Amino acid sequence: MGHIEFRDIYKSFGPKHVLRGVSLNVDPGEVFFIIGQSGAGKSVLVKHLIGLLRPDSGRVLLDGVDVTDFKEKEFYPIRKRCAMVFQNSTLFDSMTLVDNVALPIRKHRDVTVKEAREMAVDKLRLVGMHTYAERFPADFGDGMRKKVAIARALTLDPEFVIFDEPTTGIDPISAAMVDKLIRHLSDNIGVTSIVISHDLRSIFGIADRIAMLYQGKLLLDGTQEDYKNSDNPIIQQFIQGQPEGPMEV
Amino acid sequence: MSPMHKIARTFQRPLHLLGDWAMGWFHHIGGLGLLTWQVLVYLLPWKWNFDGPETWRTMYRVGVKSFPIVVVTAVLVGAIMVIQSGLYIEQYGAHGLLGWGAGYAILRSVGPILIGLMFSGRVGANNTAELGTMKVTDQIDALRALSIDPVAYLVMPRFMAMIVMMFLLVVVGNATALIGGALTSQFLLDVNMVLFFQSVVTYVLLEDLMHGLMKSVAFGFAIAIISCYFGLQTSGGAVGVGRAVNASVVGSAIALFAIDYAITYAAL
Repeated sequence: MGHIEFRDIYKSFGPKHVLRGVSLNVDPGEVFFIIGQSGAGKSVLVKHLIGLLRPDSGRVLLDGVDVTDFKEKEFYPIRKRCAMVFQNSTLFDSMTLVDNVALPIRKHRDVTVKEAREMAVDKLRLVGMHTYAERFPADFGDGMRKKVAIARALTLDPEFVIFDEPTTGIDPISAAMVDKLIRHLSDNIGVTSIVISHDLRSIFGIADRIAMLYQGKLLLDGTQEDYKNSDNPIIQQFIQGQPEGPMEV
Repeated sequence: MSPMHKIARTFQRPLHLLGDWAMGWFHHIGGLGLLTWQVLVYLLPWKWNFDGPETWRTMYRVGVKSFPIVVVTAVLVGAIMVIQSGLYIEQYGAHGLLGWGAGYAILRSVGPILIGLMFSGRVGANNTAELGTMKVTDQIDALRALSIDPVAYLVMPRFMAMIVMMFLLVVVGNATALIGGALTSQFLLDVNMVLFFQSVVTYVLLEDLMHGLMKSVAFGFAIAIISCYFGLQTSGGAVGVGRAVNASVVGSAIALFAIDYAITYAAL
């Protein structure tokens, strides 16, 4: 259980072709990184998995079940199994941190509001934000909001988690804590993590497998060693962060 | 480019713009219809879906916070109605009809429409801006990702709150407008306020009150659907939120006058 497959996905927004035939497999329990330039279509690709976007062509399979043509309500059970941490955290401004995290518990678990809030505080403790439980998202910077978003994503104990740039804007110590949490979820609970990241320290720290998208296509799907040993100049330019090279900006 | 091409393009352009404009209107009409349908489906007993805390929060924000501005507006509306009719009342000596004239106009139409416009400007615009900001910052997608239906969680509480609170605010507004009218008649026109209220009670019918209250429910319905629709349709960042709020306020105002006309005409 927990196998994800993207099969020949094409997606355009008006005249802009974002994905041009991307095929990927993610195995159960692995920490799978998707890397690439900004605008390469990484977030667009993963949003297809939970039906936030629909492909122009291609198929999305979850545990062998083709979910591509599922209706919005048919995706609800999938979204309970597959949580997503968005790039810009997306906390609800009108709620305190604890209410943000308690919301999915309150809506999907048979618990009282008080119990949901207690469970939410436990999740906040996981990311070190429990002492700010009654404060509002506007009181915090991007990094701390992202940690709360991670806590909220974990509330329903998902089998898969999509992390969209989880360590961007976070200090190095908190980033290491997030990396450790992702690795812990995979190693000890069997959670499958799809991580979109530009953070080379994270990528070469915790990734089981890495896929690089370039100009809407898959450039390489391999392990950390495959990337380090690749003689593709585009891959080398990206992982070394060089401003000059064959990669078109 | 040949002269024939130039002539063809000259004629094509207005047609193109007209087509775009018509498509835009049909898109909005279709979207409003779909949202109304979704909301009505959630009102069915076996589909009933409300979030308690969100509904109470919205009730407070929509109703209680609007109370002072509605009271001030209504007192002034009552005063203006009495001052406007005062000239003719003096001329004909018909002091006993002052309460009826002001009360009839306030309860049937002026009260609900002016409170509706205030409500649309304050609550509807605020609602569109809030939902629009949630849309452009991916908070709506975040709700979907948490398996929470944005219509059930965000639109339904607002829909109920706006209908209930618009009704209650019109009840309060009608009462305060009559008090404002009575005070003005007493202190400005020297017409006894007891006579004013006697005139209201004697000549204004329960049907007149119900007519205005029916309008208030219809206004609340229209403002809720229009403001939520334009909020959920927002795209294009802060500029898009501004555009959505503008469309929402203009759309609500047009809808309010159209509904007022339709109900008034139907009741003839």
